[in-house]
Amino acid sequence: MGESRNRFGTAYALTVFTAILPGQTEEVRSIIEGVPRGEAGPFARLEQAHFTRLQIFDKLVYQGAPQKPDRLKSAYLVFTASFDGALDSFLDAVCERMPAEADSWWSHCVGYPGTTDRAAFRRYINHNKVHTSLFGIAYPTASVADVRESLALRERVLDFAVTAQGLDAPELQARFMQTFVETR
Amino acid sequence: MPVETADVPNGSTNAAPVPGNSQGRHSALTLFSPIRKQWTPVLRVAMWFGKWTPVAQDHILQFNFIHFVRWAVVRKFPYNGPPQERDVLNYPYLFFESNFDGPWRQYIDAFAYCIPGDIRFVWGRGIAFPGPPPAEPLKRWIAENSMEGGTFYSAYPEASTRAILSALAVRDGFRRLVADADGLEADAFKARYEQFLTEVQVHL
Repeated sequence: MGESRNRFGTAYALTVFTAILPGQTEEVRSIIEGVPRGEAGPFARLEQAHFTRLQIFDKLVYQGAPQKPDRLKSAYLVFTASFDGALDSFLDAVCERMPAEADSWWSHCVGYPGTTDRAAFRRYINHNKVHTSLFGIAYPTASVADVRESLALRERVLDFAVTAQGLDAPELQARFMQTFVETR
Repeated sequence: MPVETADVPNGSTNAAPVPGNSQGRHSALTLFSPIRKQWTPVLRVAMWFGKWTPVAQDHILQFNFIHFVRWAVVRKFPYNGPPQERDVLNYPYLFFESNFDGPWRQYIDAFAYCIPGDIRFVWGRGIAFPGPPPAEPLKRWIAENSMEGGTFYSAYPEASTRAILSALAVRDGFRRLVADADGLEADAFKARYEQFLTEVQVHL
């Protein structure tokens, strides 16, 4: 049942906590904060990834009395991803398309096997993942490709609607077919 | 080496966005806060119903600026053997992450005044949680509990939730139009095209 709670629609919510090796927290911080952003970054190579985040939990916020403070013995690298499809496919994509970057941060974590052995990488991520209790999505059955293609189509439809104003029926039909059907 | 528990910062609600939390018009908010142990089973059951009840899903996503949102109850951190020292937490923790349009502060009023009951239900059994309304103490609490830094990626950083939902509606209408258009005479096609524009004009 835990695994099903990570899914909603066609998307999967992955949440991973991996303990950073003693004394290496600042190095990991420097690596993840230096990851190129946007299209230049490694996550852009994962066509199924909607959102990802990497961050470090090394302190837990103390809420004040009557809380007993929780002091971490390890710092944790926290990775979250919302993506299309199955977890194994996503992890294989990480190994194929961004192995050097994945190794650059997770190699500083306890027990990390590397991306070369995909089966071991899958086991490591699965061992360190936390099941989602509740997952909500505004567009649960839309893939990344669906979102991008729909945004582009909307622009094309809008442009067409503006330029096709006032056309008679045969010309409108011919222009529509030429613009949208014959070019597909 | 033990890592110290952080002090509660002086909760400014006007701090500048941190690069690790934003890309384009999208932001990520991550909270990790303790829950009272006796409340955890109730929260788990409520979240189970939340997943399987469409009304609950609609309720969660009633704000059209949220793309993805997740909660996870964390009782312990995964353990990988030495040299990791096993962390034993005094409380279960609630991990919350949301991806949404714009900085979070401008939306907290909506949460605080539109769904204060939901907010109090989920987080109100935590420790020292300022149950809304009013919104300002909640903003301070979120600023204090937001886990900052790192890196954040969005696949379509300039698209708002509303733009995406509109684009998907246009796509669906367009597919129906193309399917219906096959074999239509010109006058009938024009009528069907105008019907399509009427259907989707609110989304263009």
